[in-house]
Amino acid sequence: MHPQVLCSTVELTVNQALSLNIHGLDQLKTLEQKTLTVQLAEFNFPLSFTVNQKQVLVTTLTQHSNCTIVTSIKTLMALKSEQQNHQALSITEMIKQEKLDLQGDLKVAQQFAAIAESLEIDWQNELAKHIGDIPTYKLTQLGKFISNKISFANQQIQADASEWLVHEQRLVVASNQLSNFKESVIDLSQQTEHLAQRIDTLLSKFSQSSEQ
Amino acid sequence: MSVQQDQHQESSTNSTNANPSKDTTHFGYQTVDKNEKESKVASVFHSVAAQYDVMNDLMSFGIHRLWKRFTIDASGVRPGNKVLDLAGGTGDLTAKFSQLVGREGKVILADINSSMLNVGRDKLRDKGLVQNIEYVQANAQYLPFEDNTFDVVTIAFGLRNVTDKDMALRSIYRVLKPGGRLLVLEFSKPEHEVISKVYDFYSFNILPKMGELVAKDGESYQYLAESIRMHPDQETLKGMMDNAGFEQTSFKNLTGGVVALHKGYKF
Repeated sequence: MHPQVLCSTVELTVNQALSLNIHGLDQLKTLEQKTLTVQLAEFNFPLSFTVNQKQVLVTTLTQHSNCTIVTSIKTLMALKSEQQNHQALSITEMIKQEKLDLQGDLKVAQQFAAIAESLEIDWQNELAKHIGDIPTYKLTQLGKFISNKISFANQQIQADASEWLVHEQRLVVASNQLSNFKESVIDLSQQTEHLAQRIDTLLSKFSQSSEQ
Repeated sequence: MSVQQDQHQESSTNSTNANPSKDTTHFGYQTVDKNEKESKVASVFHSVAAQYDVMNDLMSFGIHRLWKRFTIDASGVRPGNKVLDLAGGTGDLTAKFSQLVGREGKVILADINSSMLNVGRDKLRDKGLVQNIEYVQANAQYLPFEDNTFDVVTIAFGLRNVTDKDMALRSIYRVLKPGGRLLVLEFSKPEHEVISKVYDFYSFNILPKMGELVAKDGESYQYLAESIRMHPDQETLKGMMDNAGFEQTSFKNLTGGVVALHKGYKF
């Protein structure tokens, strides 16, 4: 019954998140009675998301799916990462590599993705309903302070580690050294190609003169 | 774990259960007149209807929701289908089916017990599920529907309480469309001895006390435990479905056989 546990958890989470979405549930209207099925390589069962009356039902039923995506969590993560880095999506490339398979109405998948991307929850507002405005404000300030501190510490540690590895211990080459090396390799490669062309020319001249 | 339901009976083919005469049947461990059982079971469900959902969650630790989800997933239901949720009680399966069959489909929530049906109807209406659900008070043995009406018939934790199970299975077979399927979710026989012993202890010692505390009705929950023991085991029920005409019958044990989902097709 593991699929049912997962379906139940996902359904609860998705509907809870949708109910907290500050943009409301109107976007779901366009997907009424539409089903998106996701078959992940990591699971031996599909997950079907059906929209009904502003709710999302999660089942393992595949009898009626408007769009089916066969992929893996790894591929989805890679896609998301490319989107975040504003790189061109390589969906076609992934389909060619058989990492992703899309069947049915792609628009349905896009609409589901658009809803997921537009999901925005005002956590402060939600928290304030439970603990009050002032504690929420204080807690948020504390959260920001801790987050900044962690971010700063993270940057500092990275810089220090880099300094130590590159300059003090000389265990890792610096980026400019690496680019110099790359340029040298490219130069050498070009020279080798040039030399090869000359040898070919000389060989062809030699063979012509020996024939005469 | 729907611990209860509205209909009942007993099976002449039940290997666990010797039937003293054709005019008598079992009500838990008691042997009663067939006519008497229906009213006795009715009184059980009139008594527990209001606390039915709470008790189900408590007694099964919420696992009954997963068993029902498993049933939905195994049903192969699709938009436009017509579904009969027999002995549907408080409408857990109906709620999900209603959302899956959509506006083009229809779900009939049928139950022999008016109290259970009322609780189910109120619950579903409160959830805003009104478009494609109908409510019918019906006895599983004499289903008031035309032949070849439904794509899917489910009976979850209800067959145990039906007075003549064979008759009910034949009646269900009649109302199914060719290609339709029946799903029977019911308590069954645990696969392992250890589970069986723990389950027995829980059923006969803890469950009636919980019923007493929460639903103020320990006796009904004592009946529940007894009726489960008198219900046919997995293979017997499969044989009964075969006898009723179902094809490709199979069953899947859930939670170590505490519950089993039987499935059969009409072709």
